[in-house]
Amino acid sequence: MRLMIPGVAAVLGLVGMVGAAGAVEPKSPITFERRVEPILTRAGCNSGACHGKGGGQNGFALSLQGFDPTFDHIAITRDVGGRRILRSAPDESLLLQKASAAVPHGGGRRLDPDGAFYKTVRQWIVDGLPRDPADAPKLVKVGVEPAERALKPEEAFELRVVATFSDGSTEDVTALSTFGSTESTLVAVDADGRVKAGKLTGEATISARYEGLFTNCDVFIPLAEAVPESEYAAFPRANFIDELALAKWRKLGLTPSGPAGDATFLRRAHLDVIGRPPTPEEARAFLDDSSPDKRARLVDALLRRPEYADHWATKWMDLLRPNPYRVGIKAVFNLDGWIREAFRKNLPYDEFVREIVTAQGSSFEQGPATIFRDHREPIEIAPVVGQLFLGIRLDCAKCHHHPFESWTQDQFYEFAAFFTHVGRKGTGLSPPISGSEEIVFTAKSGALKHPLTGAPLEPKPLFGEAPVSDDPDVDPREALARWMTAPENRYFAKVMANRVWGDLMGVGIVDPVDDIRATNPPSNGPLLEALADDFRDHDYDVKHLIRTITASNVYALSSEPNERNVADLRNFSRHYRQRLRAETLADAVGDATGVPDSFDAAPPGTRAVATWTNRTPSLFLDTFGRPDPNQDPPCERVDDTAVVQALHLMNAPEVNRKLSSDEGRVAALAAGDATPAAIVEELFLTAYSRRPAAEEAEIAEAVFRQPGKSRRAAVEDVLWALLNSPEFVFKD
Amino acid sequence: MVPPRNCQSSTTRRDCLKLGLGALMGGGLVDALRLRGMAASPAKGRFGGARPTNCILIWMDGGPSHYETFDPKPEAPAEVRGEFQAIETAIPGVRFSEQMKNLAAIADKLSIIRSVRHNQGNHGAGNHYMITGAPPRIPVGCGAFVSFHPSMGSVAAHERPAPDGLPGYFSMPSMTRSGGPNFLGAKYAPFVVGGDPNSDGFRVRDVAPPGGLEIERVDDRRALRARLDHFKRFADKTAGDPASALDEYYRQGYELMDSPEAQRAFDVSREDPRVRDAYGRNAFGQRCLLARRLVEAGVPFITLNEGGWDHHVGIFDGFKNRMPRFDASVAALIQDLDQRGLLESTLVVVLGEFGRTPKINKDAGRDHWANAMSILMAGGGAPRGQVVGATDVYGYAASERVLGPENFVSTVYSKLGIDPATALVAPSGRLTFLVSDPNPIRELM
Repeated sequence: MRLMIPGVAAVLGLVGMVGAAGAVEPKSPITFERRVEPILTRAGCNSGACHGKGGGQNGFALSLQGFDPTFDHIAITRDVGGRRILRSAPDESLLLQKASAAVPHGGGRRLDPDGAFYKTVRQWIVDGLPRDPADAPKLVKVGVEPAERALKPEEAFELRVVATFSDGSTEDVTALSTFGSTESTLVAVDADGRVKAGKLTGEATISARYEGLFTNCDVFIPLAEAVPESEYAAFPRANFIDELALAKWRKLGLTPSGPAGDATFLRRAHLDVIGRPPTPEEARAFLDDSSPDKRARLVDALLRRPEYADHWATKWMDLLRPNPYRVGIKAVFNLDGWIREAFRKNLPYDEFVREIVTAQGSSFEQGPATIFRDHREPIEIAPVVGQLFLGIRLDCAKCHHHPFESWTQDQFYEFAAFFTHVGRKGTGLSPPISGSEEIVFTAKSGALKHPLTGAPLEPKPLFGEAPVSDDPDVDPREALARWMTAPENRYFAKVMANRVWGDLMGVGIVDPVDDIRATNPPSNGPLLEALADDFRDHDYDVKHLIRTITASNVYALSSEPNERNVADLRNFSRHYRQRLRAETLADAVGDATGVPDSFDAAPPGTRAVATWTNRTPSLFLDTFGRPDPNQDPPCERVDDTAVVQALHLMNAPEVNRKLSSDEGRVAALAAGDATPAAIVEELFLTAYSRRPAAEEAEIAEAVFRQPGKSRRAAVEDVLWALLNSPEFVFKD
Repeated sequence: MVPPRNCQSSTTRRDCLKLGLGALMGGGLVDALRLRGMAASPAKGRFGGARPTNCILIWMDGGPSHYETFDPKPEAPAEVRGEFQAIETAIPGVRFSEQMKNLAAIADKLSIIRSVRHNQGNHGAGNHYMITGAPPRIPVGCGAFVSFHPSMGSVAAHERPAPDGLPGYFSMPSMTRSGGPNFLGAKYAPFVVGGDPNSDGFRVRDVAPPGGLEIERVDDRRALRARLDHFKRFADKTAGDPASALDEYYRQGYELMDSPEAQRAFDVSREDPRVRDAYGRNAFGQRCLLARRLVEAGVPFITLNEGGWDHHVGIFDGFKNRMPRFDASVAALIQDLDQRGLLESTLVVVLGEFGRTPKINKDAGRDHWANAMSILMAGGGAPRGQVVGATDVYGYAASERVLGPENFVSTVYSKLGIDPATALVAPSGRLTFLVSDPNPIRELM
């Protein structure tokens, strides 16, 4: 995960005091919002670790990062009987005494008494603590110069941050800004905006924050020695993905790995598109096919396979499917079925989302209604919708201004207000059974009050317009869904395009895939934009998106790094290996051994990918990281490896039983009359989707000649060895 | 592939595997293990010549209240004081909450630190700071599992390899939020032992070959696996090849399977039933017992991750439900270690992310409060029966001998024989100090 939060140094108290260096000499008059609040932010006074945390510090509370100037003005000028300010002797004001550590201050010295900031605050006290006039120009934009820069190792430069106000005026606010780097070991930035490259090559985004607005500067430290243009020119372009990925490689001086071989592509595409490796017969047919378009035809065929739906639906189960102990078995089963059906009929993604967001009806009949049975309050469902479908994380804004984004608490509540007319009748939750039916409908009334002011809030989108109908029978969610899925909503297509890209390529262009914000920039912005546009222009057809990505030469690169791209973990100049997901791996073991799992309360032949709840007992799935059944969606899943996974594949009685079963592939191969060579080829095709190399075949065939080893034991041991290899466990 | 390392002769290894299958013999085991354990952790002499100890860290996930544990404030107004009385302890003049009866009775074996404070008020960040000694370098949400720095357990495993194929760092029944290895790599991740050791037939899962498989077959399969695996590995660490991590896990898995010490240590059913009773016949109690067995086998670091201390609601009922058993098990562990002569070489630590707010909230709970917390440390050669530092009169903040998480973590490292001023080199080439302030709490040294 890569997060970047400017002002980190201030939060951690590393900035130390803020002095005169580089400070801007204020133009009069000195007013609170324009001149004083930024100083409090820059000095870290209102950071989350100090007075900005809920309840403040030592009885002095400020709004987090100064998002509420009225609150802060009162806190400074009027609370505790106004004793923080002494106009007759400004230097004796507690505000300045504490900030300059003239009296003991837990936060140490934040303002240098000889510095410009101190003088500004002092002058503001002398002037009578004025606030900005109501018609004062408002901050509209913050920009940084330069916005992009290539550096040599250990080279440095200074950033300049410029604020633009509603009257068109601009001001250099560098001294009042806070800075952060996405990769501080590669490119560091100090408190004054001086950027310095480290010794290593790579890239980082430097973010500057001024008064709640962010701006970024992309910094590259390309590899030494230029790559001859002919090398890039030689890279074949199948579609726009290749062009845009290449443009980024050129900037960094990366060169792509070679193309993946047919067998690797075959296994990769199978696992990616349908979550299932090819059978030995399918593998033979593909490998022996010499037609030039066989890869495209393979993907098309896979997209038509029934396994496609379960594989892609199960990714959404992590995000949407609740705990049946909480909302009831039937309701969960019903939602599970609806999601699978949506992928089965390739429901356009905008319709998929619209049906969820505007869900109505019985939790026993209308799958998406279950989501509203699970998330019952507007302030519970709003952040889920924001994260999953817009990539906007709103949780922080529930309680306070989002610390690393520009979303305010007001915006959060106005967004949540779209869900105030969700009515429910029937029987609500009664865990741990919750077995009853509940019906979601449009209530005629419903309101959400601001948690601080108590004022009722009108539904309002996070940006743009989403007019709500006056007709009380029309649910405000209709307006929300229209706004979300409108072609001009830049977030909607992006987050899904990025999600699918992350699934196929191993890491999102934005990572985590549903956390899109200025401070978590994409590794390749133009690529994400183009991918999102293409997805939107093709009517949000998920299969089209998959086809487009898999058709690119970028998708078909080998995972083997070269000298110039070995450190690339974000720019897709090589394919990134992924461990198979828990369900995919469990099913692959079942397919390879010919002995499928059998799951409780599921029909025979149910594959792991088709289980309807994570409560279905399976040590295998737990060991390989399916979400904890007690976790509420959306769940994050870690496809990491661990020693317990190695031990499980080696030793688990369940896995061993599949190898030694009389019903399985091993028994059948041993009982047949195939030669050891044919059996070994079959096992390699089964586990790795390729034929063995001569040396491998010889090693495996020798097992059959081992004294005292039965033919059956030989097949078992070879398959055991193949399954306990990273070539089986990973998608290459 | 890496050959099995510890059981050099195949006879020995076969014995191990048989042991793994359950052919275990009784008698003299504990003594034998203890001798091995001691032999396996010789003083490395890197830090002050102190004899290194092993550590059992009991993590009270959620952040236990300091008022309801080791720092009651009977003089405070009712809305701060809470429902519980303060009781006398075995240290004259020192009082604990009435919920800590068993620990109060053995307070003369303990050191209580009342004055560690920090500035991270949510779970993810608080856990990170206390478990790694480093504040998270970016703000971290409450639910977050983050890692910016290796955890104490991972560093212990890195600096103090455990004997006989045992992992150097265990975590039961799960890893704490930031308990991972960070840049030290997969090799130093905790070995997580899930399940309930109090249940009949509890076994550490998958650490022995499946029943019915002859030893010859196990050998054959391993050898074959090593020869057949031609999957390309990308040796350059910056490539982040996950296949290399899996190799390391297979190596660890083999070692564990081949270690009779490990197999025995895992078998808590071999304990005298009276000892099992004393620890408490519940999952946590038996995990404490398993932890003692692992210490005896020479494991340097064991974390017991015990959730349920995030008492925003109903703190008094919560403590009445939970604390009597918890208190009894921890006290039994410390006494048992002491009686076996192991307490001097075993550091027992009990803590959570932070303390709780002074004022009881509207739901009869207390919220997060990093300005004050209490930490129990026992053994490891620390002076017995002392209280270090103090909070102010109502427990709002650490006020005397104010210490940071860095001092706490440095103390644990020092006790483990690891110099807290050690700098490790991260793969990026960056020099990383274990702890930014390497001063241990001198009262404990």
